[in-house]
Amino acid sequence: MSRRQTLLETQGLEAGYRSRRGKPVPIAGPLSVTIRAGQLICLLGPNGAGKSTLLRTLSGLQPSLAGSIHIMGDRSPAQRSPAALAKKISLVLTDPVRFSNLTAYSLVALGRYPYSGWLGALKEEDRRIIAWAMEATGIEAYAQRKIGMLSDGESQKVMLARALAQDTPLMMLDEPTAHLDLPSRIQIMQLLHKMARQTQKGILLSTHELDLALQVADELWLLQTGGRLDRGVPEDLVLNGTFESVFDKEGILFDKRTGSFNIHSGHMKKIGLAGSGVAAFWTKRALQREGFEVTAAGVAASDIRVEEGVTPIWILATSSGRQTFDSLSGLLDALRNQSI
Amino acid sequence: MTNNRFFYCALLLTIFSCKERTAQNTPPPAVNNSDSPRVTTTIRYARGFTIDYHDNYKLVHVLDRKGDLTDTLEYLLVQKGHPTPDGHAKAQVIPIPISSFVAMSSMHVGMADFMGIAERITGLGSLQYINSPIVRANIKAGKTIQVGLDGNLNNELLISLHPGLIMAMSNPEATTAKYKTLMDAGIPVILNAEWLESTPLGRAEWVKLMAALVNKEDLVNKKFDSVVRSYDSLVQLASQAKEHPHVIIGMPYKGSWFIPAGESYMAHFIRDAGGGYKWADTKGVGSLALNFEAVAPEALTADFWLNIGYVDRKQDITSKDPRFASFRSFSTGQLYNNNKKTNDIGSNDYWESGAVNPQVLLADMISILHPELLPGHTSVYYKQLQ
Amino acid sequence: MQLTNNQRKRKDIKLAALCLLLIGAFFLDIALGPVRIPLRSICRIILSLPGGDSTWQYIVMQIRIPKTFTAVIAGCGLSVSGLQMQTLFRNPLAEPAVLGVTAGASLGVAAVMLAGGSITTLYTIRELGLSGSWLITIAGCTGAAGVMLLVILISKAVKDNIMMLIIGVMVGTVTLSIISIWQYFSDPELIKDYLMWTFGSLGGVTGAQLYVLGLATFLGLVISFLSSKMLDALLLGENYARSMGVTTQRARLIIICSTSLLAGSITAFCGPIGFIGIAVPQMARSVFATSNHRVLIPACCLIGTTLMLLCDVIGQLPGSQAALPINIVTALVGAPTVIWMILRKNNLSIFG
Repeated sequence: MSRRQTLLETQGLEAGYRSRRGKPVPIAGPLSVTIRAGQLICLLGPNGAGKSTLLRTLSGLQPSLAGSIHIMGDRSPAQRSPAALAKKISLVLTDPVRFSNLTAYSLVALGRYPYSGWLGALKEEDRRIIAWAMEATGIEAYAQRKIGMLSDGESQKVMLARALAQDTPLMMLDEPTAHLDLPSRIQIMQLLHKMARQTQKGILLSTHELDLALQVADELWLLQTGGRLDRGVPEDLVLNGTFESVFDKEGILFDKRTGSFNIHSGHMKKIGLAGSGVAAFWTKRALQREGFEVTAAGVAASDIRVEEGVTPIWILATSSGRQTFDSLSGLLDALRNQSI
Repeated sequence: MTNNRFFYCALLLTIFSCKERTAQNTPPPAVNNSDSPRVTTTIRYARGFTIDYHDNYKLVHVLDRKGDLTDTLEYLLVQKGHPTPDGHAKAQVIPIPISSFVAMSSMHVGMADFMGIAERITGLGSLQYINSPIVRANIKAGKTIQVGLDGNLNNELLISLHPGLIMAMSNPEATTAKYKTLMDAGIPVILNAEWLESTPLGRAEWVKLMAALVNKEDLVNKKFDSVVRSYDSLVQLASQAKEHPHVIIGMPYKGSWFIPAGESYMAHFIRDAGGGYKWADTKGVGSLALNFEAVAPEALTADFWLNIGYVDRKQDITSKDPRFASFRSFSTGQLYNNNKKTNDIGSNDYWESGAVNPQVLLADMISILHPELLPGHTSVYYKQLQ
Repeated sequence: MQLTNNQRKRKDIKLAALCLLLIGAFFLDIALGPVRIPLRSICRIILSLPGGDSTWQYIVMQIRIPKTFTAVIAGCGLSVSGLQMQTLFRNPLAEPAVLGVTAGASLGVAAVMLAGGSITTLYTIRELGLSGSWLITIAGCTGAAGVMLLVILISKAVKDNIMMLIIGVMVGTVTLSIISIWQYFSDPELIKDYLMWTFGSLGGVTGAQLYVLGLATFLGLVISFLSSKMLDALLLGENYARSMGVTTQRARLIIICSTSLLAGSITAFCGPIGFIGIAVPQMARSVFATSNHRVLIPACCLIGTTLMLLCDVIGQLPGSQAALPINIVTALVGAPTVIWMILRKNNLSIFG
């Protein structure tokens, strides 16, 4: 079993900022949360809820309004200096890297900043870690390319490699998958999951990738507008309805059974569906898009039966008879034409 | 009123003096008029202006730098109480004699003193540098006020002052357009260019222009002729010198040394004083922008260093740049600066009375370069730096 | 990745070539001037061999050598301060002259002259001996630091690079206008001298002044070099730098100190000289293909010195008696470089 060492804990933490007149404006909290070694925690919440502010506060970039944060049991203010924190927390932010003249290698090498020599000289150990970080993120191929020449996905990986090279027990990432294409997004989430498991790092990331987060996170933190934070194992949160209620407030419906959000609501007509395989699953989605509420067979005026197989067959039974289709588009056309 | 009395006196004087015309006064080139004879003047050295005398008016041309007739400014000096003649649409009309005027440069004050009309100055561009005792007294008494220089000109103040004339200095920025407001308000503005004259006598001769404005040609003719005589005899004296010690002028600033060119004011002085000047054969009436290095060979060996700049003592020179200590003139102590006649407020009379007394300047210089030629002379404007 | 053998050899060749160029430029600067002095005589004078024309001795030792050393100092100081500003603001077009820091130095000097001297303005800079030189340096550095602080404060509110440059130009203009007010009310004769000062000149720094300038610049360069690591971190932005352990307040303070020392003292003695601070760091980055400040700072010194010496040689208009002010030459060399840089786009993160 992993030693679940507490890496970070907060008590009554209130994150926010001060207005121009110095008035505190709380965004999140009060929170009492912990991050343990080996945990991958995803911070979810609607836009504007304050995920970035919370991350910045936890990582020390921004002062808190109230409450305390303890990182790896530190007690004195000196241990909270940037230099000390640099060996405990590494970050991946949304800040653009403007100096596109840097090579990927140099950028990753910067991650060794807290450990390198006085003038920044790299030792053998440093080079080894850099190489490892680059291998883990799969960017060895473009080590010598300039940042400005890389695609969004590639440069995000480079930033990740840099954080890995910093070799800290805690990592915090602010929307690391934003602006990336789907394969890159999946890769990054997989990578983070692997890191947490293999290196026992405590990883906190904020994201909008609900699907991926549900699959990958050990713990979810749901931050709502107004500052309340719910935390727990993802499945618990789904099952006890917390997940639904958080997003419900925004007017979005979460379907527990499928684990996804329903775009379509306001069904107009009912239609029955018989079938239980993969094809039936996808037929239901198509029907819902068309505006149907899908019920069990025999209840509604019309029924569809799906016969599974390599080439599925759809049989539509209406009051006017039965029809057979070998593609969904045919079925849908028919439904439209017959205005069922 | 005092002004009128002066006017009538001047008129009487001119009428009487006409009877004693000397050979110096050549008859006016225009229509010979024996009804109102007056004293006229001839310009012999100055190249920047001409005066044509007519009945009851004088036509003045102030020429541009090159001395030709393009960009010439015309002024009609019309005797008060007489009509303005036709045919000179572009000319500015100045009713004379002027009883009050505003001066913009030290030399204007010097010229006024030369002919004894300094009390007519009612305004000055700047009150900072004045030597004339009369003008200083008037400033103290509030009779002479500051009107501002160049871009700072206080038009409203000037208009309320309403002097008979504003004597300004012409330069590329100060075209007549700048003074339009004042001219429209009825104040004539004359743009002098005496500082463009490259010969000492030519520059001093601009007193005759002021003389024409106040009808004091007779007095000024006499005084100026005596200046010319003194000057010429000094030149004659200096030409007897067997040696021509070398002279350098001015001081470099950060590696650039502006050296007067061969046809410039200072170059003329050096030549007339029997001095040697390395750049005597160069063309131009202004300064040559030379590298310190280019001047260094001459500066190191020259016998005399004149018109050094804003310095009073030898240590002022070395504190500006320790390298100057290597100049021969420095080690022999032959350093002469033109700021001896500086008064308690720091104003250097070289620029005021010195400008209209070139014979004194020349005498000073000869006594420096060739002391044996003028043994009894005490330098007025130049002092040796210790 | 370590540099391959080939790459390392290429780098060594580049380094060697640059050093040769530097030495060549150094000697060229000493050898050329309005007075023609044969090379042999120059060598004899430098080697302190007896005999030879005393005038030439004076010219070489008292005029040319101090000027050459001033060029070396100015070349190093201006390029490194430009490099630092480019890193701090993450803006490849930043440099002391563009962001108004040299104007601040001028203001500092003008203020001191007005408060202390009887004759107004910068004219009296050259009057001062040793103690005056220190005063000038302090005034120049203070002025430079003040403006830099202002610019940093403004940069917190302005995220866009181009806007930042425009603001820098505006700050510089305001500063120069304040100086103009003083000029406006001072003697017309002195205005010409101020104009001469603004053209920039490497020739006026001698004796005690040269020592003071050299010392101030050396100090600035040392501080710079020692903060190479911190500068590297700042390339990623202040948030990342902080997460890597950089205390941003202290970092800014250190950079302000060294940049004001460099830009302030050089401006105080040589007048405002521009473009070296933009062009040289870019050249250094291209030639040495690195963003590592440990390499870049010495590289900037090397390239900056060479460039300044060459500009001085050009400014002497070999063969003629007159000389072009150094500021004009650096502008003529630097401005096309900047335009070329912008057109090339590659190195400019403004577009990246």
